[in-house]
Amino acid sequence: MIIVKDLHKTFGDNKVLAGVNYHIHQGEKIVVVGPSGSGKSTFLRCLNLLEVPTSGEIWFDGQLITSPKTNINKIREHMGMVFQHFNLFNNLTIMDNITLAPIKLKLMKEEEAKENALKLLQRVGLSEKADAYPGSLSGGQKQRIAIVRSLAMNPKVMLFDEPTSALDPEMVGEVLEVMKELADSGMTMVVVTHEMGFAREVGTKVLFMDGGNIVEENTPREFFANPQSPRLQEFLSKVL
Amino acid sequence: MDWLLNIWEHIHRAFIEKDRWQVYLKGLGVTLEVAFLAAIIGIIIGTIVAFMKLSKTRKGKPTILTHIANIYVDIIRGTPSVLQLLIMWFVVMKSCDNGILVGCLTFGINSGAYVAEIVRAGILAVDKGQTEAGRSLGLTSFQTMVYIVIPQAFKNVLPPLCNEFIVLLKETAILGYVGLSDLTRAANQMTSTIYEAFTPLIGAAVVYFIVIKILTILLGMLERRLRRSDNR
Repeated sequence: MIIVKDLHKTFGDNKVLAGVNYHIHQGEKIVVVGPSGSGKSTFLRCLNLLEVPTSGEIWFDGQLITSPKTNINKIREHMGMVFQHFNLFNNLTIMDNITLAPIKLKLMKEEEAKENALKLLQRVGLSEKADAYPGSLSGGQKQRIAIVRSLAMNPKVMLFDEPTSALDPEMVGEVLEVMKELADSGMTMVVVTHEMGFAREVGTKVLFMDGGNIVEENTPREFFANPQSPRLQEFLSKVL
Repeated sequence: MDWLLNIWEHIHRAFIEKDRWQVYLKGLGVTLEVAFLAAIIGIIIGTIVAFMKLSKTRKGKPTILTHIANIYVDIIRGTPSVLQLLIMWFVVMKSCDNGILVGCLTFGINSGAYVAEIVRAGILAVDKGQTEAGRSLGLTSFQTMVYIVIPQAFKNVLPPLCNEFIVLLKETAILGYVGLSDLTRAANQMTSTIYEAFTPLIGAAVVYFIVIKILTILLGMLERRLRRSDNR
């Protein structure tokens, strides 16, 4: 579904991605872990071109999205993204946050979009917040809404960029719960996270990134039980 | 002391006798007309220039528009507005004898440079994550600007913009340099008509003060309305 070939990204003199190759298949839940500065967030942000790669190719459903000729906006309609800091639109109500893109991109009529939004809000238990502004919500609620906002576009893949890192510990659970449910529904997911429990439980593959490359890749069971590279062994000994 | 004792007499002579208040009123009309039109021109120019300054190539480099905008802002901010007015009146628009028009354009172009910086700062102050979220949903950069960034930037921009309008309104007091009878010049001329300076000048100052106070209150009300979605 997503094919990444020899992906490089540099910021000035700083080499963040050094030739990443990977193939993400339909229905997989890829969890990316690694120390800070390893390039895992940049890798994720390259997948929908929020970060423009310095060189390399990214294919999504047979389209080369790194080509300047590709209309990236059309591609992004099919790739949901959830951010560390939620990034709900502060000037809009929750309902408008969710329905803005489907309506403005003419994917749905207004009533249809609202109906769909209410259904999704019910699914995450926040239907009573439809008319509230983001400022009045807790972090966990905001992140659940952010997930709903992406889902309202009916994406083929969901990208999560450290979705629980900015949350109070007691709110992490409610967000992970929504993500687990989403994973069970068959959504293709790429998740950058520090939640090792989530990686073990939900991931179909776990990637370890370090120094701008994928150092190790395995099923969660093997990944945590039999880490191969010394770098991953060291990392796991610190975080587990 | 002498002035205080004969305060009514002074006021009567400076404002009421021979319907002299009409002179001030006409002056105030000129002041407000120029300031209002200049503010509108300033907002239009300032917004366009702000976006020129923010324009970037695909690689993230500044464009030729950015450089043009920078030169404009530098020149306007680097020269006194009195000189700009004189240059417009005696050189650039020499053949135009409509003082109001020259005044509006001069102050509009002048204000545009300051408004451009205010608008640019206001847009930059909106968290980058808002843009990223909009773009990640498939919205174009234009749609993201219109529906998400600009409404939020508008709230940031309002207080400094209010400040800029106040400065602009007072700056029009130099219109007398090119022979326009604005409020300041009307008061100044009155001093030589009635051989007394204090009353007409204080009178003009009070009028400026009241106008600006009203402007401040109105913009304050607008700002409070806009802050409703903030919950803070």
